Amino acid sequence: MDISLNVNGSDRQFSAEPGELLVERLRDGLGLTGTKVGCDTGQCGTCVVRLDGRSVKSCLVLTASAAGSEVTTVEGLTPPGGELTGLQEALRQEHGTQCGFCTPGMVMALGELVDKAAQEGTAPTEPEIREWLTGNLCRCTGYHSVVRGVQRACAASAAGRQDG
Amino acid sequence: MTAPTGEHRVLGQPLDSREDPQLLRGEATYVADIDLPGTAHMAILGSTHAHARILDIGTKAAEAMPGVLKVATAQDFADVMPLPCIWIPGGVESHFPPHPYGLPGARPVLTGDTVRHVGDPIAVVVAETPREAAAALAALHVEYEPLPVVTRADEALAPGAPQLHEAVPGNLNAYWTCGDKDRTDAAIAAAEVTVELDLVNQRTVNSPIEPRGAVGHYDPATGDYTLYASTQGPHNHRFLLSALVLGIPFNKLRVIAPTVGGSFGTKGYLYPDMALVLLLSKELGRPVKWVDTRTGLMNSTVQGRDHRQHVTLAGTRDGRITAVRCTSWANLGAYPSTIGPGVATALMGRSITGMYQIDAAFCEVHAAFTNTVPLGAQRGSGRAEAAFLMERLVDRYAAEIGMDPAEVRRRNLVPAEKFPYANGLGWTYDSGNYRENFDKALELAGYADMPARKAEARTRGKRLGVGLATYVAVCGVGPSTRMSQEGMLGGTWESANIRVHPTGEVAVTVGSASTGQSHHTVFAQVAADEFGIDPAQVRVYQGDTLKAPYGQGTYGSRSYSMAAPAVALTARKIKAKMVRAGAVFLGVPEDRVVYADGRIHEAGNPANAKTFAELAMAMWYGWGLPPQIEPALDETTHFDPPDFNYPFGTHVAVVEVDELTGETEVVAYTAVDDAGNIGNPAIVRGQIEGSILHGLGQALMEAAVYDAEGRLLTSDLTRYALPRATDAPFFLLDKTVTPSPHNPLGAKGAGEIATVPPAAAVTNAVVDALSDLGVQHIDMPLTPEKVWRRLRGEDDQ
Repeated sequence: MDISLNVNGSDRQFSAEPGELLVERLRDGLGLTGTKVGCDTGQCGTCVVRLDGRSVKSCLVLTASAAGSEVTTVEGLTPPGGELTGLQEALRQEHGTQCGFCTPGMVMALGELVDKAAQEGTAPTEPEIREWLTGNLCRCTGYHSVVRGVQRACAASAAGRQDG
Repeated sequence: MTAPTGEHRVLGQPLDSREDPQLLRGEATYVADIDLPGTAHMAILGSTHAHARILDIGTKAAEAMPGVLKVATAQDFADVMPLPCIWIPGGVESHFPPHPYGLPGARPVLTGDTVRHVGDPIAVVVAETPREAAAALAALHVEYEPLPVVTRADEALAPGAPQLHEAVPGNLNAYWTCGDKDRTDAAIAAAEVTVELDLVNQRTVNSPIEPRGAVGHYDPATGDYTLYASTQGPHNHRFLLSALVLGIPFNKLRVIAPTVGGSFGTKGYLYPDMALVLLLSKELGRPVKWVDTRTGLMNSTVQGRDHRQHVTLAGTRDGRITAVRCTSWANLGAYPSTIGPGVATALMGRSITGMYQIDAAFCEVHAAFTNTVPLGAQRGSGRAEAAFLMERLVDRYAAEIGMDPAEVRRRNLVPAEKFPYANGLGWTYDSGNYRENFDKALELAGYADMPARKAEARTRGKRLGVGLATYVAVCGVGPSTRMSQEGMLGGTWESANIRVHPTGEVAVTVGSASTGQSHHTVFAQVAADEFGIDPAQVRVYQGDTLKAPYGQGTYGSRSYSMAAPAVALTARKIKAKMVRAGAVFLGVPEDRVVYADGRIHEAGNPANAKTFAELAMAMWYGWGLPPQIEPALDETTHFDPPDFNYPFGTHVAVVEVDELTGETEVVAYTAVDDAGNIGNPAIVRGQIEGSILHGLGQALMEAAVYDAEGRLLTSDLTRYALPRATDAPFFLLDKTVTPSPHNPLGAKGAGEIATVPPAAAVTNAVVDALSDLGVQHIDMPLTPEKVWRRLRGEDDQ
């Protein structure tokens, strides 16, 4: 099936195999290996990407059903070696990653939360952040540093709005 | 002479982890991300029976499937040796499957005759794509003749139990003991008070978020094999695979650990897949790649804990513990994992007295094979099981004599003046101030306020419980000779190389390989601190056996107390050489040369000096050096410590049990850990937070559940519960610092130590919450249903 998809700002045309998952297309077809696979059941969240702005588990999306959509993967946030986004920078300062395998998925999932907060001019509470994070598993950090990172990112973003 | 470095400027600082930006951008390469040109893809067929004879494997249909390059079964690898086991129960008779070199054997690379656990690998398919390999795997037809199954260690040792290995009579790997049985039995018989518990320390699945994987690449032009694998110990894997499995020259195998996505004890082991990708790459003339699935991991990768225990504590009416005894049935699974038998015996048994001074102690372990996934280490391995039994017993004893459990603990702590302290079970604790640590934790937790909080909670329909747990965690594996007495068949030292480049930049290369511990950051801090230079000048290399000096890997919280000392000692060698050579360059006697702040100068004449970079360049040229001083600054140290190190700590869990639903919420968790001198507090804080949550997972939700046929029912993440962000309560963390005398940094293990006490602390808290109902113990995991039944006065069976 011929599919066209906008991935990280570039239009991509390809033929999808029957039953092909978006994560397979991204990793194996397009070589975007920042998106990970950690389970077979949609539980771990390492494959989260943004699909038309919403964070989704790309192992639960058929490539065909994403046709015509805009997909952003972790590679689409910043060029290789490039400046970190506000959220990435805040996670760095809070050491919100250890082995890093869950990290791209967390960055993509939490990115939506941080963007939403910025648009609405609000900051999520700690329980809200934790609830948002339940789709992503991490065995290294115990999540605390990740939560602190989100709080820092939202605070920095709010401060930026006030300055601006 | 070399001047002391003076105060630490870089070490002990929470420098940002330099790995993080790459990880946050998704740029790090894990094994699944490696895509060598021409790669073929391997899939492994695991047995669907836990115990069965294989009558036939029909391969014809699979061979005819699209893209299939090779289908192989055990007979294709008849000349490949089985994997070895290298940590056996020390000092006792033990029984293992055979290995042609007379070593303890573990398992074949593919099982041909009798499968012994669900997931036991029996065939492989290599195809052009992962999908084609998976499709062909489904077309393999296996005929089994089922055999009786046993999944519990105690049942495996009973008369008439199904037998797993011809060479292992009665399924008994070993009967192992430590301590003084007669003295302990006598003390228990004579005691004023004794308490007993039957405990199940349930099997749990380590569950790194990255499943394992391996890429094998054979180069026919050179005859060289390269293995890329998610491994904690590339050097060990190189040695064991080349010499003891494949039978190829050590020189022909290179092992590379790319970025590794967590391990928690699973990735230091030899697995069949590592050998298979290499063998099949040679046969097919292409790189061969295998990446496990989550369900695959659940049946292929070592699991942890799994002891059934009968434990006894004796004491006086006034709260002095006089003896402790443990009888444990340890479930090793179907085959010995690479180091599993040592974990189940010495690491657990010698640790059971914890922080307490106890006159008589004895532990016996019956280690048995069963039809379950092989057992290995899991974050806090052995020591967590030991702390669980001891801390449960102390609470039981406190209840029996009607004394505050905190007071009982306080009365029995090893006093600070007793160090070094021999615990009577084989460990000699290096240093500690347990009382200081214990009091600090209780104060931080607000222990004195608990009665009022309990009363307040009851007005909300909640039962508040408080649970204490202390621990001592042997770390720093280790002193090689001492480890050999513990049955380790290999050295356990660690090494580092430092090369100072002509520009004054520094390359630190370590034998240890990270699975998420920020080696690149911390080892740079150690070197920069020793040299008195900017850490930005230092780059760290690791994980490639071609480039790195030998090392045993990252496990048992050992890298900072084993590899970092090697880095520090190497830096000191280089500084000493800088001083010797500096005497020539400065034109003064050696005893007039001072090394300070990353430069040398003449004592009393700071103007006669050379900077670090000037010295580096001068040594690169090597001009004017006397014959006894070699050019260049390039040194290596192999560090083998005089003994282990013993971090310790006190944790306090506060839970609220809902009277209607039985749900347990951990509402506060206080941890005061002592890991000696800490290199990077931000990194250690992250490790402690993660470790606590891992321990809470065992307490509240995690369990590997096998049915009577030996099938793992909890074989994916919809059925195996891992703690999520909403399960992580507020943590209150602090530390005490008692440096270890056993390494030049005063370091103790840190990475996993905080996994040791939480299961005990939370269980103690829940039992405390239910104590007025007569509840004396509940087996983990403390699920709402189990707790609810106990609230209703039912048994938990």
